[in-house]
Amino acid sequence: MRRRPNPKIYLVTGIILLSVIAVSFIVGLFWTPYGINATDPAAKLTAPSLQHLFGTDNLGRDVFSRCLAASRYTILVSFAGVAFALVLGTAAGLFAGYFGGILDRIIMVLSNSIMCFPGILLALMAVAVFGPSLYNVIWALGLVFAPTYARVYRSGTIELSSRDYILQAKIMKVRPGRIMFIHIFPNLMSQILPAVITGLANMTLSESGMSYLGLGVQPPAASYGKMLADAQSYITAAPWLIIFPTLMLVFYILGLYFISEWVRTTYGGGRA
Amino acid sequence: MRSAAGTILIKICEFALTALLVSFFTFIAFSVIPGDPARVMLGTDASEEQVENLRAELGVDRPLSVRYLDWLGGALKGDLGDSLSFRTPVNELIKSRLPVTLGMSLMALIIVLIVAFPMAAVCASRPGSLTDRIVSAFGHVLFAVPAFALSMLLILLFTKAFGIYTAGRYTAPSDDAGKYIASLLLPSVCIALPKIAMTFKFLRASMIEFSASDFARTAKSHGLTDLKILLTHIIPNSAVSSVTVISLVLSDIMGGSLIVEQVFNLPGLGRLLLSAISRRDFPLLSGIVFYLALITVILYFLSDVINAAIDPRIRDGRSL
Repeated sequence: MRRRPNPKIYLVTGIILLSVIAVSFIVGLFWTPYGINATDPAAKLTAPSLQHLFGTDNLGRDVFSRCLAASRYTILVSFAGVAFALVLGTAAGLFAGYFGGILDRIIMVLSNSIMCFPGILLALMAVAVFGPSLYNVIWALGLVFAPTYARVYRSGTIELSSRDYILQAKIMKVRPGRIMFIHIFPNLMSQILPAVITGLANMTLSESGMSYLGLGVQPPAASYGKMLADAQSYITAAPWLIIFPTLMLVFYILGLYFISEWVRTTYGGGRA
Repeated sequence: MRSAAGTILIKICEFALTALLVSFFTFIAFSVIPGDPARVMLGTDASEEQVENLRAELGVDRPLSVRYLDWLGGALKGDLGDSLSFRTPVNELIKSRLPVTLGMSLMALIIVLIVAFPMAAVCASRPGSLTDRIVSAFGHVLFAVPAFALSMLLILLFTKAFGIYTAGRYTAPSDDAGKYIASLLLPSVCIALPKIAMTFKFLRASMIEFSASDFARTAKSHGLTDLKILLTHIIPNSAVSSVTVISLVLSDIMGGSLIVEQVFNLPGLGRLLLSAISRRDFPLLSGIVFYLALITVILYFLSDVINAAIDPRIRDGRSL
């Protein structure tokens, strides 16, 4: 390789993109120029202007206010979903990798069968059975994402288990739980970190897809996916209804990808 | 070291077990509905008589294990019962929608392969160059746009710039094959673009890795040109190592098509699935979910078999 691309560019671009979302999240919590669901019959489908920075939709709702407010659900679902997936996947991966044998087989077969449901199908199924709600979306998507982390932790645990310090600990009769969570778990952090950040981005892609189908975040809460679904009949008449929510999603997802790319190139880590 | 036949046999057993588990998950998910399933399906304003009839139809009075075996036996014979909302066999419904979803998925896969390989080859031949950096950055951006948002943006572009609106005009393949392909082209591109980014990223990394390998250096010392090494050594090796990734991509594509169909108003499995969800038509829903998951299981199985067929290390169980 002649020149390595400067990873700092990834970090800087990522931080810039994410800070846009962070600012709109914080601002959106305390203040929006108009009510999130306040309709204005006199100003339907108006183009972006000084009164309405991002224009208004078919009911006369202010798109800028809705974009600010929707960021909280994007962030909430991605973080909560990844946290759920991480707890489940970490535990499963550590146990499978540490104990091996039949437990390993069972956990791997289970996680493989979860991975056999293409895309968000499993999450759609869960929502179909339990009804669309924020919490159902979070745990369902968390379940879908858990096998990815289980795999990383399983292979990492198998690798570390043969290291001397783990063997020493075993000889000293350290309890398996302590070995797993005190000695193995922290040492796999650098491997899991890029996967966690990418997971946040992928979770957002899935969540926006489900919200688009009307099975994710439920109205009256604003979400980017739902905003795009509502805008579908006005694609050509009011392009701003599509462009701004899409931009918000892309900023968040792309920012996360760039940061994870930076972590990966800077700290080595595994390919996730 | 295992024999080749042994490896294949183990794979077949794993395949059967996974397929069985997937069927069990699908079935159980729609059987653990909180409360009375018949009541849940019909909603609160249904009469007691309607609920009783549906209960009998679903056979919920029988034990779970009997129902599961019954359903599984039917599924294997291609009979998944009748849809509650359409009053037609689930199988017929799925079959009538399959040309859209499968056709779109296959077209998307072809697009992914045609675009990703040359892109990766160009970038991997000069890693770190300006072209590489621009293409890689572009790949990241493609990766970050949800497929349905991308579809809308492309519809907008096509309508504004070229004056063609393609959404919602579907022609069945039996009517006019050319128009069928044309009607699915734009949706296929929309599903393919993010997956191109994913495949490209993998291929680029694997090609760079192979370029630095011993056999590439040996070929170079034998006086082969860079292009020849790329075409005869690096690309074939990357293609082999990407079998698994491609099967993952295809499964992702099918999942993605469920959503993109909705944007383009195409009568595929995705729309059938959504109408089944909104009408709480659980027999139809479990049928669609089961078939889609089964296709994925078969894909993974095939990719394992292909891997074993072309790579002796896997065939002999050395790197499993």
